[in-house]
Amino acid sequence: MSMKRIENGVLGAVTFLTAAIWVFPLYWAFVTSVRSEENVVTDPGLLPGEFNFSAYIDALFNTKILTWYFNSIGTSLIVTLVVLLFSMTCAYALSQIKFPGRTALYVVVLASFMVPAQALVVTQFMLMNDLGLINTWGGIILPQLIVPVVIIVYKQFFDAVPKDLREAVVLDGGGEYTILFKVYLPLNWGITTALGIVTFIGTWNSFLWPFLVITSEDMMTIPVGITQVTDVFGVAYARLMSVALLAAMPVVVAYLIFQRRVTEAVMISSGVKG
Amino acid sequence: MIKRANRLVVGAALAALTLPAVAAQEVIWWDFLGGGDGVRMKALISEFNAEHPEIQITGTTLEWGVPFYTKVRTAAAVGAGPDIMTYHLSRAPLALEEGVLSEITDADMKDAGLAQADFFDSSIAAATTDGKLFAVPFDIHAVVLYYNKDLLTGSPYLDADGKLTGMDTLEKFEEALAWLKSEGVETPLTYQTGGAGGVWRVFYTLLSQQGGQFIVDNEVLPGDNAAKAVKAIETMTRWQTEGWGPEQADYAASVALFSSGKSAFQINGVWEVPTFNDLAASNSLGFEWSAAEIPPFMGSPATWSDSHAFAIANQGDKTISGEKRTAVMNVIGWMEKHALAWADAGHIPAYKPVAESAEYGAMEPNASYASLAKTSAFDPQTTITGVASPTYDTAINIISPAMHGYFNAEEAVEQIKQELQAMMQ
Amino acid sequence: MPSNKSKRRKNLIALSMVAPFVITFLVFFLYPTLNMLVLSFTNAPLIGAGDWVGFDNYLRLFNDRLFKTALFNNGYFILLTVVPTTVVALCIALMINRLKGRTQALVMVLFFVPYILPVSVVTQIWEWMLDFQFGVLQPLISYFVGKPVAVFKNPYWVMPVIAAITVWWTTGFNVLLFIAGLRNISKELYEAASLDGATSRQLFWRVTWPLLWPVTALVLTLQLILQLKIFDQIYLLSSGGPFNSSYVLLMQVYREAFQLNHGGYSSAIATVLFLLIGVVSVLQFQLLRLGRGR
Repeated sequence: MSMKRIENGVLGAVTFLTAAIWVFPLYWAFVTSVRSEENVVTDPGLLPGEFNFSAYIDALFNTKILTWYFNSIGTSLIVTLVVLLFSMTCAYALSQIKFPGRTALYVVVLASFMVPAQALVVTQFMLMNDLGLINTWGGIILPQLIVPVVIIVYKQFFDAVPKDLREAVVLDGGGEYTILFKVYLPLNWGITTALGIVTFIGTWNSFLWPFLVITSEDMMTIPVGITQVTDVFGVAYARLMSVALLAAMPVVVAYLIFQRRVTEAVMISSGVKG
Repeated sequence: MIKRANRLVVGAALAALTLPAVAAQEVIWWDFLGGGDGVRMKALISEFNAEHPEIQITGTTLEWGVPFYTKVRTAAAVGAGPDIMTYHLSRAPLALEEGVLSEITDADMKDAGLAQADFFDSSIAAATTDGKLFAVPFDIHAVVLYYNKDLLTGSPYLDADGKLTGMDTLEKFEEALAWLKSEGVETPLTYQTGGAGGVWRVFYTLLSQQGGQFIVDNEVLPGDNAAKAVKAIETMTRWQTEGWGPEQADYAASVALFSSGKSAFQINGVWEVPTFNDLAASNSLGFEWSAAEIPPFMGSPATWSDSHAFAIANQGDKTISGEKRTAVMNVIGWMEKHALAWADAGHIPAYKPVAESAEYGAMEPNASYASLAKTSAFDPQTTITGVASPTYDTAINIISPAMHGYFNAEEAVEQIKQELQAMMQ
Repeated sequence: MPSNKSKRRKNLIALSMVAPFVITFLVFFLYPTLNMLVLSFTNAPLIGAGDWVGFDNYLRLFNDRLFKTALFNNGYFILLTVVPTTVVALCIALMINRLKGRTQALVMVLFFVPYILPVSVVTQIWEWMLDFQFGVLQPLISYFVGKPVAVFKNPYWVMPVIAAITVWWTTGFNVLLFIAGLRNISKELYEAASLDGATSRQLFWRVTWPLLWPVTALVLTLQLILQLKIFDQIYLLSSGGPFNSSYVLLMQVYREAFQLNHGGYSSAIATVLFLLIGVVSVLQFQLLRLGRGR
């Protein structure tokens, strides 16, 4: 018994040590960001030693970070809402209505889940140019609207809804849209928020596509914009780290608030938990 | 009558209300200027905007080098480019091959209130191809030798006035580096040894000081130029193996080594002058510093140099014309005439009325390296050289690895010749 | 025939429901895919039309040293990330699974946080951590190899380090999957096995590992496809250097199209990448099915 307790203690200690190592980079970024630029390169201590927020003020007011926030929030919200709406109706039709081409469509959805959008950046860029959407929100948003996994998950959940609920609405004379929005959607609010969170985080963090399609600083999203602050002159480690942490802040805070939901969302959307 | 007068007044009032909004011409501006350069350029832009309610510049700063020029190229191709941008004259031939620059006509220059004769001949020549001007030169910038006076105090290398002395040969310079190392200075000489820009600037300076030429008649390092290139790389390698230079330093790290007092010398562009001026002014530098022309280590004086210029993006049908173009030329003319503020960032103005003014002559430390303008070594004017060119790629992909011991200088030069020659048409 | 009419109505409703997705899919996915195929047989620039050159671009690939380097590096990167991240995630999940309540939630948060950071934040933090002159990890590196190493400028270090950073960044996601898998294993199985006198090692290999295999396979699949598409971290940390030792396929697609203006050649490389991922996915899908069937 005591052997077991020692074993547990050791394992617990190892767990916490690993976790501490895991978050150390974030801690270090924070420590760097609250030092003055001179102390960053001269003072090697592991404790902050000072709390100098001038780098943050500099980042907030001398870069376009507020504009980038706005672009990121705007485009990510639109992508999330549109993806949810398109996927929900598509998944409902696939799950509940028999129509010609249904199986074929589902196979296409399943197949496109595997295929890399990244391989298409060049031709998508050409398409956006033909549509005159380079350097616009539309340009950022449109190619990101295809998230087949959302359809797949929705379909699984709609498949599981008991049939008699559906029949009750049909008897009352309700159409398919009524059934979807009055019955299936309310029954699956949990999955909707979960998919929404996952889509939002994914869009917020996407780099390559916004990086290609945006040409001006005013239209950049956060992950692209902050790479622009790394200019090649002078010493600015504290500034770099404060900008990086500011960029990460909104999603991290949202995660900490909705922590349980996010955890669930990840598990559900990858199919390990139903 | 009264009615009519009333109508007139109302009309005029309405016009006055709407006029400024209608007439304000927005000029989209792109540059790659960070640090002290960026601060000074942003100040110039806001000064311009304040003085000219009818023209408003909206500036964007992109990352220097390959990212900037990739963006310019792509954006110009799709017609989403800037109205005006900064451009390095070293890559003018490359730019013309890419077709991203719109010709600056004599009429344009007149709109700007400028004439080609107002500029140094060498600058105009660098911006001209087939008799057509493609950019308006703004400055000449070069690398200089920064030094930390405190670390050199008590050595024979600093005279009573705190100026560098007795450094006119490579042997003496290396003696000084060895002495500094023995005194416990961690990295006696810093420059960007892990980046294309820093490596190329030092290499090209050392090559030019031997009278070497990088490209002659479309041939890369022909004849004894190859041997001179080998000697340049060997010198840079020795600085590394002796532990004098920083290993694989990124740009920011290379500057930080000097500003934190860990290096006594720094070879870097004049554009860092304001960084140290600002640090010294806020009392956070902690030592006395100055800058001098790079001594003739390899024989004769020569210093790598380049020019910033203003250019208009060629965007096919969407290339700016008419009033917008006049507004842009107005901006360029104004910037040239206010280049004194730009000289504060260490640069030498390309516009003669400013460069030859008494105010400029009195500026420090610009005056202490003003002489280098006469021995400027500009990159060869070819389509494979210049900022963000294949040649810059070889600096980071071949010369820097050679300096750090991955292959020897002869192999490096052979590779450079092979790789670049294949790209020459 | 009312039933015919209602059938048509039903089909119309179904159509209206799938149309938004189908149209976006056709325009922004299928069309670019077909266009990529077509362009790969031309010498088109990024913007504008080109001439038909047949299989020239593909033939050129065979002699393109850079393409071979990129292909090799993609494979190398997969080797460095896929199995390591799976093993690390499994270990962490097993450790977390022993904890309870709030402590468990807290530790889970600590491991998951890196995953929700944008890639550029991750690369900037690690660039600073590993900065050659001032990086906080350099003393540690010096301790082991005797001197500091400029990791992103060293041909031997660059890929393993980028792989390690990627593992740090994405492991949280895999940990969650494993934890979900562990929770699905019923307690009774363990109890029964314990009663039979099984040691904890035997418990792991006889109960946990086989029952967790579907999740393990899922993690491996997702990682394999994900890491084939590597671009962001490499572009931001090393730009493919030093001397191309971290150059990967997507990097070449980007460079050919956007820096060198070779839309056609870039499309040929993209097509190869596209097919590669397609084939790997199908193979894995089949393998997993076989594994499950057994």
